[in-house]
Amino acid sequence: MNNQPPPKSGAPLIIIGAVFLIVLIGGFYWYSTSRQSPAAANNNRAANTPKQSAIPANAPQGANPPNMKGSPNAVVTIEEFADFQCPQCANVYKMMNTIHASYGSRIKFIYRNFPLTQIHKNAYDASVAAEAVYLQDANKFWEMQNQLFTNQAVWSNMPDARPTFKEYVQKIGLDVVRWETDVAGMMAKNRVGADMERGRALNVGGTPTIYINGQPVSNPQMSVEGMRQIIDAELDKGAAPAQNPPPAQPANPSNANSNK
Amino acid sequence: MTPEDDNRNEAIGRPRYARSALAASFVSLVGLADAVYLTVHHYTAEPVPCTVIAGCEQVLNSAYATLGGILTAIFGGAAEGIATSGIGEIPLAALGGLAYFVAFSLALLTAYGNTAMWKLFGIHMVLLAVFTGWLIYLQGFVIGAFCQFCLISAATTFTLLAIFLISKSPFRIRL
Repeated sequence: MNNQPPPKSGAPLIIIGAVFLIVLIGGFYWYSTSRQSPAAANNNRAANTPKQSAIPANAPQGANPPNMKGSPNAVVTIEEFADFQCPQCANVYKMMNTIHASYGSRIKFIYRNFPLTQIHKNAYDASVAAEAVYLQDANKFWEMQNQLFTNQAVWSNMPDARPTFKEYVQKIGLDVVRWETDVAGMMAKNRVGADMERGRALNVGGTPTIYINGQPVSNPQMSVEGMRQIIDAELDKGAAPAQNPPPAQPANPSNANSNK
Repeated sequence: MTPEDDNRNEAIGRPRYARSALAASFVSLVGLADAVYLTVHHYTAEPVPCTVIAGCEQVLNSAYATLGGILTAIFGGAAEGIATSGIGEIPLAALGGLAYFVAFSLALLTAYGNTAMWKLFGIHMVLLAVFTGWLIYLQGFVIGAFCQFCLISAATTFTLLAIFLISKSPFRIRL
């Protein structure tokens, strides 16, 4: 055996340093360009994205009436299946706010609960909490949605997030006692269950899953720019309402019956 | 390589484990590239395209995709402080990238003659392989979906471990 120490060389340290810099600068550059032009970055992957089927006419209706904003008579219907604990859904939530601000009453937006209960321990409770808010005041559902998505990092990993949800209900100014009764009851749970049943029937495999006029939005299109293109095309066509359109929201949601 | 090859290599000035270490450094770069890809996608919030199998989104959006989720899964409520802090938001892919960069550095240092690093490389890979095994279990039995990029990472880890074990085996094949 040769017991002489290996010759000293700076080469490995130079290579290691170079790789470190390449990874750091390259990663940051990639991140910056992707953030600046999401549509361009996404378009490259369009061909490889798995396709989701269109909504069949006989699919279960989901919660009836649904959580809906925009105009019930709009020619473009956006239906999103989301999970309050899913980080990507929180990002899409911001996109949807931008879309909604741009199109207003020209679109109809429907939010469907699809909590991925196997991997998100608080997602189902979050959906029930939001639906209990809906039962008290349909418009406040969107405020609760805002609380849940914007504070997602706060409650996601809590062993029991329900006390935190209660704080959100207090913050948006609802009757907390009634909300607690609704959370414990079956109506909110049935609404969540109905949405999940619709999602499962449509083979929703993950969240967020978005349909525009009954047609699934592929992953590469899931950006503000990508969805704008689809919505604009549908508006240009003066498209017919989505297949199996959910009924319009009643004035008093508290009296709405669950469809289960 | 055989022990005789090692002796011959050393006699001609080529460090022990040089070829194995060089191979390991190249394989580490594959894992590093995969981890960088997933990390960038995490921070840009772009969906990761699943071209071979479905389920990337389910895995990458799961609670286990971040350090906070992993700590909560291992330590339960005791990790709540860290899990809900900014540190808890660090994606697991970024930590994977760091692990592959360490593996790359150790392998390269070995290839250039610092053979003491090969033992550290081995310890590093054994720990990484155990953790990877647990992540595969999570995908298969807890999340119920597999992410192809996570599987590429797992394959990289096990390949690196195999390279190390083969280099230490008395029945080494000729590389």
